Amino acid sequence: MSLREALARCGHGVGMLGLAGLLGTESHAGTAASGGPLALKPPHFPAKAKRVIHLWMNGAPSQVDTFDPKPLLAKYAGQRPEATTTLTTENNTGGLMPSPFAFKKHGQSGLEISELFPNVARFADDLCVIRSMQTDVPVHESSNWMMFTGSIQPNRPSYGSWLLYGLGNENDNLPGFIVLGEGLPVNGPSNWSSRFLPGIYQGSQVTLPRVYQPQEVIPHLHNEHLSSANQRRALDFTQQLNQLHKDRWGSENAFNTRMQSLELAFRMQTSAAEAFDVSQESESIRELYGLTGPDSNFVATIPGQSTVDRALFGRNCLLARRLVERGVRVVQIYCGKGQPWDTHSQNTDGHRSLARAVDQPIAALLQDLKQRGLLDETLVLWGGEFGRTPTTQGADGRDHNHYGFSVWLAGGGVKGGMAYGATDQWGFRATENPVHVHDLHATMLHLMGLDHKRLTFRHGGRDYRLTDVQGEVVKGILA
Amino acid sequence: MNICQLALAGIFLTSMVTSLRAQAPAKDSEFFTQNIQPLLREYCLKCHSAEKHKGDIDLESFSSVDQVKKNPKLWLTVAEQLGHNEMPPKEKPQPTAAQRAQLLEWATHQGRPAAAKAIDWDHARTYWAFQPPLIQPRPKIKDAHWPKRELDYFIRAAQEKQGLKPGPAAARSTWIRRATFDLIGLPPTLEEIDAFERDTQPDAFARVIDRLLASPHYGERWGRFWLDLARYADDEGVSFLTPSPNAYLYRDWVIQALNRDLPYDQFIRLQLAGDEITEPTNDWFERLGGLGFQGLGPQFRKGAAGEAKAKADELEDRIDTLSRGVLGVTISCARCHDHKFDPIPTRDYYSLAAAYNGAAWSPRLFASPEAIAALKKWEAELAERKARLKQFAASESQRLGSIELTRVDAYLISAWKLQVLKSRGQPADPIAAAQREKLTPHFLNQWIQLLAGGKAPAPLKEWLVIADPSAKSAVVKDGAVEVPVALLAQTEKLKATVAAARLEEEHRKSQPDKKATPASAVIQELLTNPGVPFGAGEKEAVALLSGEPQKQYRQLLQALEQFEKMAPPTPLQSPSVSGGGQPMNVFVRGNPEKLGEPAPPGFLKILSERTATKVETRNQFSRLDLANAIVNPKNPLTARVIVNRVWHYHFGRGIVASLGNFGHLGDRPTHPALLDTLSVRFMESGWSLKWLHREIMLSATYRLGGVMETRNLAADPDNHLLWRMTPRRLDLEAWRDGMLAVAGRLDPRLGGPSLDPKNPGVKQDGLPGYSSMIGPHADDPAQGRRTVYCIISRYAPNPTMGLFDFPEPNVASDRRTVTTIPQQQLFVLNSQFVHTMAKGLAARIEQPATSEEDRLRLAWRLAYGRLPDARETKLALLFLRSAGDGGTGQLTVWEQFCHSLLASNEFTFIN
Repeated sequence: MSLREALARCGHGVGMLGLAGLLGTESHAGTAASGGPLALKPPHFPAKAKRVIHLWMNGAPSQVDTFDPKPLLAKYAGQRPEATTTLTTENNTGGLMPSPFAFKKHGQSGLEISELFPNVARFADDLCVIRSMQTDVPVHESSNWMMFTGSIQPNRPSYGSWLLYGLGNENDNLPGFIVLGEGLPVNGPSNWSSRFLPGIYQGSQVTLPRVYQPQEVIPHLHNEHLSSANQRRALDFTQQLNQLHKDRWGSENAFNTRMQSLELAFRMQTSAAEAFDVSQESESIRELYGLTGPDSNFVATIPGQSTVDRALFGRNCLLARRLVERGVRVVQIYCGKGQPWDTHSQNTDGHRSLARAVDQPIAALLQDLKQRGLLDETLVLWGGEFGRTPTTQGADGRDHNHYGFSVWLAGGGVKGGMAYGATDQWGFRATENPVHVHDLHATMLHLMGLDHKRLTFRHGGRDYRLTDVQGEVVKGILA
Repeated sequence: MNICQLALAGIFLTSMVTSLRAQAPAKDSEFFTQNIQPLLREYCLKCHSAEKHKGDIDLESFSSVDQVKKNPKLWLTVAEQLGHNEMPPKEKPQPTAAQRAQLLEWATHQGRPAAAKAIDWDHARTYWAFQPPLIQPRPKIKDAHWPKRELDYFIRAAQEKQGLKPGPAAARSTWIRRATFDLIGLPPTLEEIDAFERDTQPDAFARVIDRLLASPHYGERWGRFWLDLARYADDEGVSFLTPSPNAYLYRDWVIQALNRDLPYDQFIRLQLAGDEITEPTNDWFERLGGLGFQGLGPQFRKGAAGEAKAKADELEDRIDTLSRGVLGVTISCARCHDHKFDPIPTRDYYSLAAAYNGAAWSPRLFASPEAIAALKKWEAELAERKARLKQFAASESQRLGSIELTRVDAYLISAWKLQVLKSRGQPADPIAAAQREKLTPHFLNQWIQLLAGGKAPAPLKEWLVIADPSAKSAVVKDGAVEVPVALLAQTEKLKATVAAARLEEEHRKSQPDKKATPASAVIQELLTNPGVPFGAGEKEAVALLSGEPQKQYRQLLQALEQFEKMAPPTPLQSPSVSGGGQPMNVFVRGNPEKLGEPAPPGFLKILSERTATKVETRNQFSRLDLANAIVNPKNPLTARVIVNRVWHYHFGRGIVASLGNFGHLGDRPTHPALLDTLSVRFMESGWSLKWLHREIMLSATYRLGGVMETRNLAADPDNHLLWRMTPRRLDLEAWRDGMLAVAGRLDPRLGGPSLDPKNPGVKQDGLPGYSSMIGPHADDPAQGRRTVYCIISRYAPNPTMGLFDFPEPNVASDRRTVTTIPQQQLFVLNSQFVHTMAKGLAARIEQPATSEEDRLRLAWRLAYGRLPDARETKLALLFLRSAGDGGTGQLTVWEQFCHSLLASNEFTFIN
């Protein structure tokens, strides 16, 4: 609905004041498609993926217990081969600790996945596991920033902001970069900050309890002091004042843009609330994501860390689908607050518990995206800021490991059913086709139709990139 | 540097370069063996060794850097292969990105030893921004009656050249709203508008400007612009909320400095080096409070992420803030490579960074060195007096304990008897017992507790063995306990041991070097160790005192209390800077772990000849040297940059549109002669910003109306030639403060701590703990303080402020971006804040005006500073009659009406 239509439809009495005629001569009103900083921009080349869902396993899951099988660990359990003792991580670690979890080949591809993820494993043929990830330092904060912003200090925009800056947003009624979770993670909002990019590109964090009002999800979405009809009448009056103001001062672009923006805001009140209303989903979908059903009350508890509520994680996965369905560019789902996957002790119990909380919801998301034909153009990314050591920390923990770790991607133009790169025989250091986080970023931008070397923003006298002066597209995983 | 230049260079330079060259080979060879050879061995020699020499390449044969230099071509090939990731082959172990970069850089350098491009300094100096500004002759114009100030001639001349005619002047009501928002960030009051509209004197405009410049709200408005540049925030902003204590003092310093029109050159000098200069002498807050400009910059995480890297990033922050903010050139790119477009080599970055190298970003007391010394002295003496008092009590307690030690038998037997009585359920009163036996109740109690605990010090072990069975078999007759002979004997034995120990102790104490032999175990365990039976804590010892010692103690205590009252005032303390000025080496490609050539400390070469900063002659470059070089009147940039910024805030666009970049990639000035003239006159007027405001705001140009004119629009669509005043949207601060003012809810108090961060304040959606850190906010309607006093967090930025384009406080912000997105309008339509303001305005118009029409006229004047015309009146009346009250908790019709006025474009823009 254009502004003119809005005024014509709702602005009773317009004719009496002669405003209709006034509007008739006004060529600027309501014509421009929203031309602001969030307007759609063409990619550098045709994109494979249009949207990103990032399943963020904050705290760093262990690769040798999940997606990087290392049978040799059992044979050499407790031993300290030189290749493992020369690598410095955050803490001192001991001998090799085999994974207690059995790996099995899955799907036609025979991709090996541990028993922790029986449901995700059903989609083995859709997964592209990168087993040779590397990052710079074994420090959570810095590596969070690296994964989200491409820098180990909090001084760069997050990749979500870059994507919005490069591509705009497909939906005028919703923020283009939404962060879901259970509370504040490590680093807090600096993980989704837009830094020197304009502020509208920053992520919007939405943290929802189990029960919530969809119209309160986005700040100020709901008017507590006016009925919808009264609000419309008052807005009509405002717009009539704006019309007369323009009549007096001229049809400035800035005036017009703000008038359109008021109308968009009015519509957003209903459309944004609708996007967050999971009660519209069928019972079977809600059960698929684990909002109801046998295990829906499960809460993963990890010693010394925040809990992860399975139903909340599942609900966030479901919200992510609803949001990408409506054109939201980037959705990040944090797994609990703080860093639950940081299993310095009781690695086995911790991983078992956390995987139980996230496995079925993630599988549900993949299944649902697939059945709706959305997976092809949605890039799903799973992983943490680094991996964990194949050696023990204390009796039963694993330390941080930035030398080698695994992430997986699905959908959005990546080859399914494959493992790319490899770590050494112990699963410690990436040796074959190492992929740095910069390379992952370059590849993500590539899949979204952007050349990471051309997506630049001039700040402080130089052009900045998400990948700084690094980054190579990992061609081997492109479909 | 080529040979010609070398020959021409001064003696000093020559010798310096020579010494560098003399050093170079040794360094090169060390670098080759330590950094390069290991990489070659690990990643290349498996295939390219003497034995295998795949592709006929044998890298093993290069055993020294001299041999390397004989074959530059080969190393260029190596560089190319590395650069394209062709080597090492994909399936072979790969160097890390950092290793690859290091090898690549080194190989490139071997391949193209003479590739470094020399800057042609003579040519570089001809660029307009590096030429000193000069007073320019007043241009001749046809329209001679139009100008009101010098600057108008320049503006009109440029218009005439393009055949443009300026539009009509703005109405007085428009002008005063514009001028008031421009200078103090608030709308004019009704009285101010009325007085101005009635004022027919020729200096009516000048008096409005003078009144506004004298308002303390001027500093709040213009201080905020500076705080954007200074990337001011109330916390440090890393992974946890780390408040910077009293950061607000810097904010208040800036506001106060602007209010008293501190000359801009001094404004800069104090912020960079207030601790290194001697004036003003009387006010230490004035002198030191500006150092927060540097002290409040981000502090990055060190530890495992790398201390050197974090420090280098902190340096870059300071240099970036300073260079873009004050010098209008971009320097930080030269951290890694020579500036690609401007004559700023990498070395210059490190030369200049020396001013900050080694600096500490730590809190500082705002007081004179004497006052700080006095405070420290007082603190030291206080501590000493407290210690003395404690010592007195301790020695007194030992003296008393030592006396009682002679009666250890009486204590033991009494305590033992009481223990026996207690175990038989008979009355056992230690106070009475102490009185009877003339024992000190405190020590007796300690003996009782010791026996009850069953754990005794070593000297008592034998005694306890006897005492314990005796306690069980003890005979009690008529409330009296009979002491067995064996226990009495053991007690006597112990007494003798103690007496011997005492004698020994007295002898020890009389020795000149009494520390040489420690006290005996008996003395230690009964008297001197903490918690032993004949010991007493300070409090207990004091209670035991009597007579002369007691008097003495009271005197000491009184003197201490007296001394505490004499405490000198504790000065305020806030993040600041100290030190710096240490020479640096170039970090190769910005990497602090790879040191390159030494960078002689000093100012940018392109500017240093003009400013005669001959820092090459010493190896120090202090922050004061830097400040003086910046504000040297011969520096072609500083005055131009600030004049241009002020112009930008008055017209919405600078004469140079790229406010922080006057370099080759920046915009060219639309009116270069005007910028020069104004800059020189600004310096001549004592760098007075208030002079500059007057000069600009009393011009015919500033008085122009905002109406569009088709012919002008076609010729100059972006109004570069200022044929009208382009309407501007109020920024966050002016918009919010303006609404508070119109609603009658503005709290005009000045200065003070940022709104209490401990106050729970506004609840942020679903983020427990988040809200309590951040406190009352721009969107809290209960908070009527001006927006400049809202807390600014790097860790958790206020989402509402960000929504309205408040800049990211981690980096210097040149200008506000202006975005228009629906979430802003959701705030306008639905927020508690705007609703409360609407109610405030409705309440304000309810009382004084009785008729409907009077009321809406008043509302119009308050919100827009003018009266409604006939169409507007009709439209408003129609709305007032058609709209309905929603009932309880809903906005009334008048509140809805006021809400619409505040939500409208006319309120949101200034024309």
